[in-house]
Amino acid sequence: MTPFELIEPATLKDAIAAIDPDDPSVRPIAGGTALMLMMKAGVFQPRRLISLRKLDGIAGIAATPSGELTIGALTPLSMIEHSPEVARHSPVIPRIMVRLSNVRVRNVATIGGALAHGDPHMDLPPVAIALGARVHIVGSQGERELAVEDLLTGYYETALKPNELIASLHIPAQGKTRAAYFKVTAGAADDWPALGVAVAIEGDGEAIKSARVVVSAATPKATRLASVEKLLAGATIDDKTLKAAGDAAAKEAEILSDVRGSAAYKRELLRVYVGRAVRAAANGDER
Amino acid sequence: MTAARTINFTLNGRAVSAEVKPHHNLIEVLQGQFALTGARESCGQGLCGCCTVLLDGKPVSGCLTLAVFVEGAEITTIENLGGSGDLDPVQQAFIEAGAFQCGYCTPGFILMTKTLLARQPQPSDDEIKDYLSGNLCRCAAYPEIVNAVKLAARKNKTG
Amino acid sequence: MTAPVTGKQIGRSLPRLEARAKVSGRAEYTHILRLPGMLTCKIFRSTVPHGRIKSIDIAAARKVPRVYAVYTGDDIRKVIPDPYYGPAFHDQPILALNKVHYVGEPVAAVLAEDPHIADQAVQLIAAEYEELPAVFDELEAADNKVLVHQELKPATTFADLKHLKGVKGTNCALDFKLRRGDADKAFASAAHVFEHTFKTQRVLHLAFEPFASIADYKDDGVTIYTASQSPSFVRTEIARLLGWPENRVRVKVPFLGGGYGGKLYIKLEAMAVALSMLARRPVKVALTMDEVFYTITKHPSTFRIKTGVDKNGKIVARKCDVWWNGGAYADVGPRVTQKSGFTASGPYDIDNVAIDSYALYTNLPPAGALRGFGIPQLVWAYESHTDMIARALGRDPLDFRKQNLLRDGRPHATGTILKDVAIEKVLDTIAERLDWERPFDRGSGTVKRGRGLAVGLKAVISPTTSVAIVNVAGDGSCTVYCSTIDMGQGSDTAMAQIVGEVLNMAAETIRIVPRDTDVTPYDMGTLGSRSLFHMGHAVRLAAEEAKAKIAQLAREVGEPEGSNIPLAELFAKKFGMQAGNIVGTGTYKPDYVPPDPATGQTSNATPFWMVAGSGVEVEIDTETGQLRVTRLVNVADVGRPINPKIVETQLSGASLMQLGFTLFEKMHFDGGQVTNASLADYKIPGIHDVPAVMENEAVEAYQSNGPFGAKGVGELATFGVSPAIANAIEDAVGVRLTELPLTAEAVFRALRAKDNRPLGDE
Repeated sequence: MTPFELIEPATLKDAIAAIDPDDPSVRPIAGGTALMLMMKAGVFQPRRLISLRKLDGIAGIAATPSGELTIGALTPLSMIEHSPEVARHSPVIPRIMVRLSNVRVRNVATIGGALAHGDPHMDLPPVAIALGARVHIVGSQGERELAVEDLLTGYYETALKPNELIASLHIPAQGKTRAAYFKVTAGAADDWPALGVAVAIEGDGEAIKSARVVVSAATPKATRLASVEKLLAGATIDDKTLKAAGDAAAKEAEILSDVRGSAAYKRELLRVYVGRAVRAAANGDER
Repeated sequence: MTAARTINFTLNGRAVSAEVKPHHNLIEVLQGQFALTGARESCGQGLCGCCTVLLDGKPVSGCLTLAVFVEGAEITTIENLGGSGDLDPVQQAFIEAGAFQCGYCTPGFILMTKTLLARQPQPSDDEIKDYLSGNLCRCAAYPEIVNAVKLAARKNKTG
Repeated sequence: MTAPVTGKQIGRSLPRLEARAKVSGRAEYTHILRLPGMLTCKIFRSTVPHGRIKSIDIAAARKVPRVYAVYTGDDIRKVIPDPYYGPAFHDQPILALNKVHYVGEPVAAVLAEDPHIADQAVQLIAAEYEELPAVFDELEAADNKVLVHQELKPATTFADLKHLKGVKGTNCALDFKLRRGDADKAFASAAHVFEHTFKTQRVLHLAFEPFASIADYKDDGVTIYTASQSPSFVRTEIARLLGWPENRVRVKVPFLGGGYGGKLYIKLEAMAVALSMLARRPVKVALTMDEVFYTITKHPSTFRIKTGVDKNGKIVARKCDVWWNGGAYADVGPRVTQKSGFTASGPYDIDNVAIDSYALYTNLPPAGALRGFGIPQLVWAYESHTDMIARALGRDPLDFRKQNLLRDGRPHATGTILKDVAIEKVLDTIAERLDWERPFDRGSGTVKRGRGLAVGLKAVISPTTSVAIVNVAGDGSCTVYCSTIDMGQGSDTAMAQIVGEVLNMAAETIRIVPRDTDVTPYDMGTLGSRSLFHMGHAVRLAAEEAKAKIAQLAREVGEPEGSNIPLAELFAKKFGMQAGNIVGTGTYKPDYVPPDPATGQTSNATPFWMVAGSGVEVEIDTETGQLRVTRLVNVADVGRPINPKIVETQLSGASLMQLGFTLFEKMHFDGGQVTNASLADYKIPGIHDVPAVMENEAVEAYQSNGPFGAKGVGELATFGVSPAIANAIEDAVGVRLTELPLTAEAVFRALRAKDNRPLGDE
């Protein structure tokens, strides 16, 4: 790796101030797993890294009595995985954590880092979108909130300005919403997914009141499928509905080819897995 | 601040210090300055587990850990297991189960097994596989490794 | 033949001798070795698949502070005037000269004490190439329209390659021919003729310890620390390059962090030596995992196979045309082409056989030996093909094979009469474990199930030599000196068991000395499952000689016959104190008759045959093509297992490695550039890929000319995995895949094609 400067600010304000908005070779580093990969591959050669690890008050999980969750951006994924609050209020999250990357990465990677990277293959962003989550962003110009689906703007691209940092993730109370996520791997069982499908449905039994349906990994970014959500709103879960939902998803999604599969094949996977994800959510399956 | 700095941390129970530059990773420091070669950089991407070390008791990928980030932390490596002449029960279980061939990935699997059993003393097969899914073995000694973990768990139970 | 009763060491499942070192992280490997004063080397590599080097600009790299030196092929030539190496062809330059032949070929080397600095400097090197047309496919290469090399340069050490010296105008490094009977005539009169073509993809070993060599050159000798399976070859080849006698080259090998055939012959050793000569300091060349993809790989293959069957179901003729994609340098490809080529017709009793096996050069990373040495590619084709024939004839796949199987006493396609080949027993055992006779539920919903089996045959490479020394010290403790490398296959433990059996000592008390060619004598190489047999004989002979000398010593000091006096006392009687050694040497080279160059016929092709197969059950999600192997059964004839536990883990490990090659491993290329050179994008089997049910069995057998009835095991369980799975897929859903890997997408596309709704491309 090429040598770089490392500074370790003590406050969020200092960290933001240290970022030079015109210099892409100056970046914040949290857990570092994603950034280290880029640096070792020579794809990213920083002049300066701003460590966020010494910042206070940006890690931790809090829940309101109604079940709203606030997760600090620097919270390691493993803390989220084992949190009783998260398990109680958003049980889909610990379920998917078990197959998210590996234990060593989860001990170090942070939720803020995961969201800020904009990697369409990651498991948490599509789930966060399905749950209606929002991020709280702090920057040199002030603070703002964004829905996670608006945070992710493209292939490894986010709406974050250069001198902005994610401070926390907010997951609204889920109430009786049922959620599921399918991580479809094409080769080895443990891999980046060829396709991710996250679904959250509001309703009772087989009757859907409304649904949030998110496709990821096969697409440039985690994306809600509006036509599928429209079709499912007020529908009953049966073979006919799910087939229509799958076809709508296959028609709407912008799919990319890569080593994990051709676009044509991934489109067919999406056609099948949308229905499976809706069924799994409805049944409260272990997904 | 690209210059070398001194970091102070605890290594296998002893207070130590090292001069490192920000771009040095933990594995090159452990190997180069402390002659500890049980943790090895192989894939360089945190996927194989050959570089597993414990940081404050938690397994991390040493090859993705900047050395400067271990300031003030407790680092434990495979060399810390077992007493003088004795093997740790997990190491013993790996031998009995024949759970290695070339041995390059073995220290990583052993450290992961220790932390798994500390968290879950009697893991199910699924729990074992989920926990160890981030450790790869090119010799494919996986069936024996699962047996080794179960053997170690059984020994813990009976004492 | 039934096994004679033996003493206490053979057949013990004792834990590996080096177990403690491996579980405590203290085992030594070259990649993690450091020498005082050492420089590290980082390599600048070609970015074009074929081109003439116009210029290499190293000026900026040399100016980087604390860079020790930057060298190119021209510098290498100053110290080694003819810097080409290779086991079959001396075609591979230490650093590229005049031309580059594949993307990733080493072009320049930077030396620095700090590897980060060396890395930085490499990025400042710029090379200009005049690009030349490149060829990537083996069939295209066979047309010779685009030539990779202007002239072939066979290594003169191999008699059967001499005729290729100076040959121009071809990409074919070797073409092996076998003719038995008259295949064309037999096809003409056959009741049925079947012809299919099968393909395999480029994969690689990906040992977790990447390639590493350290050379410490002095004017009167060079010491090379290297991760190599063939230290004796390194010694002789480096000596040849330097124009030195062998005894000035010292090669030291600790444990290997995986080998699987990749760490053979010369990989980085010549580069390390040349750089150390130039720098006058020890030089370490150690690759990162992405660089491993540019070093050595497995041969992709195209195998066109044609079979004639008579009206009774007997195979009367088989014609095999095999094209091996060898990459830019031959490495040991010609051996694969010939030595595996002659088994291309399979373990079947066929009077009329024609085999043509071609080693082709292409502009891709070189291919060499990988666990199986070409056999898995051949079995993939012939066992898929044989299964397809059975189904086409409405025959049970097991039954059809048994009707045509080769058995002891029958001639193989090479003309060699088979001996000690438990082919039928292996096949029957697979069938038994799969409950083949019982009806099988193929599923009624969208999830379908199927089963398949396959069996293959390999001849151990011949002729090869192994030498060993056994040394008994004044206190009776025993040390073994042999150059067989333990890369996880348990060879150290096996040798100790053999010596212990002869000398009546517990295997765990015997010390196998670390490999050092100053001390450990000649061995052809740890490869091709040859070591247990060849080195096993050598250590046995050495131990027997030591035993005879002990008996002689006992007589000398007046001990009565069979007195069983402890060795320490014997030495004390002779030398008056704890002193002295008894040394025994053993040399083993089996008989061999070279094949006739026109017909490939020989009365003695090999000292032993390897027989193994697999049976699988698969589950297929027909809506997505996703496939799971729910049961994997591996059965082999390993003669008599020296260490049953290690045998079992070798069968298991080999089959799981082959599972990866079968289901998902593949190197992807774009214009000759590897596009997935990392573990993130080149997936290998993980713990969740292990089939739910796995069974491994060595059938009861005895290799009559083997040490204590034993023969090799390392590669065996690679043979049948791929075709067994393809056969099971056809059994489950009626589609036949003829190219590896058998991905979910490949299954899905085949299902859609069968349904007349082929999946297009976007």
